[in-house]
Amino acid sequence: MSRVSFDCTMQEGQIGEELRAKLAVALQEITQDVLGESPDDVPVRFSDIPRGFGFRGGEPSTTSLVRGSIVGGVTQDVREDFMRRICDRWMEISGCTVDELVVSARDA
Amino acid sequence: MPYYRCVVPKDSVPYEQRAEVAKAFTDIHCGNTGAPRSFVHVVFDEADDRWETPYFLDGGNRAGRSEEVKAELLSDLMGAFREITGVASEDFSGRITEGPAKWTMEGGMVLPEPGEETEEWYSHGQAAAGG
Repeated sequence: MSRVSFDCTMQEGQIGEELRAKLAVALQEITQDVLGESPDDVPVRFSDIPRGFGFRGGEPSTTSLVRGSIVGGVTQDVREDFMRRICDRWMEISGCTVDELVVSARDA
Repeated sequence: MPYYRCVVPKDSVPYEQRAEVAKAFTDIHCGNTGAPRSFVHVVFDEADDRWETPYFLDGGNRAGRSEEVKAELLSDLMGAFREITGVASEDFSGRITEGPAKWTMEGGMVLPEPGEETEEWYSHGQAAAGG
């Protein structure tokens, strides 16, 4: 069983297949750098919220959610470093703004 | 966060009702907790999840609020959903689970614990809502 995994939920039509592949690699690389896990053991799943089904602040949403499930016992400093790196790389690759991204790193 | 996922049967809730529910949930959550509107996420999922009722509200919030606030929040949300969609009480159930705020980063900031929100956090939330 993987010790780290990601579920990424995006609004339909916002992030294409090519970018998803880059994002998956980025998430695996960050996991290796910060948590020491082999990229091959880090599954990354993507799913879309159909148009008209996702809202933020009561309006149609453009936000992506990256939900990480990680091995327990990391310090908050490590967790924050992990989430911040994910934010930075996701924005860089996808072109989204900081307000269009939610990242979590929950204990598995 | 908060993240409210409404599991509904396929083609059962039209867009207009979904938008109305999303606005109502945002009003209710912000009214009960004081959170900025831009932090309220509402998603409708026509999934095949097996819940005890055909319609199900699966909410996720920051941990740390009182039982009274949590119960009132869930009751208000479910009431608004039923009122807008016309779904019968016996066909709709829900829950709100909680997780530590510090496990989530939104708008580039780690979420504060309930009651520990700063002016900076509120300001960012208002800016995100307006931008």
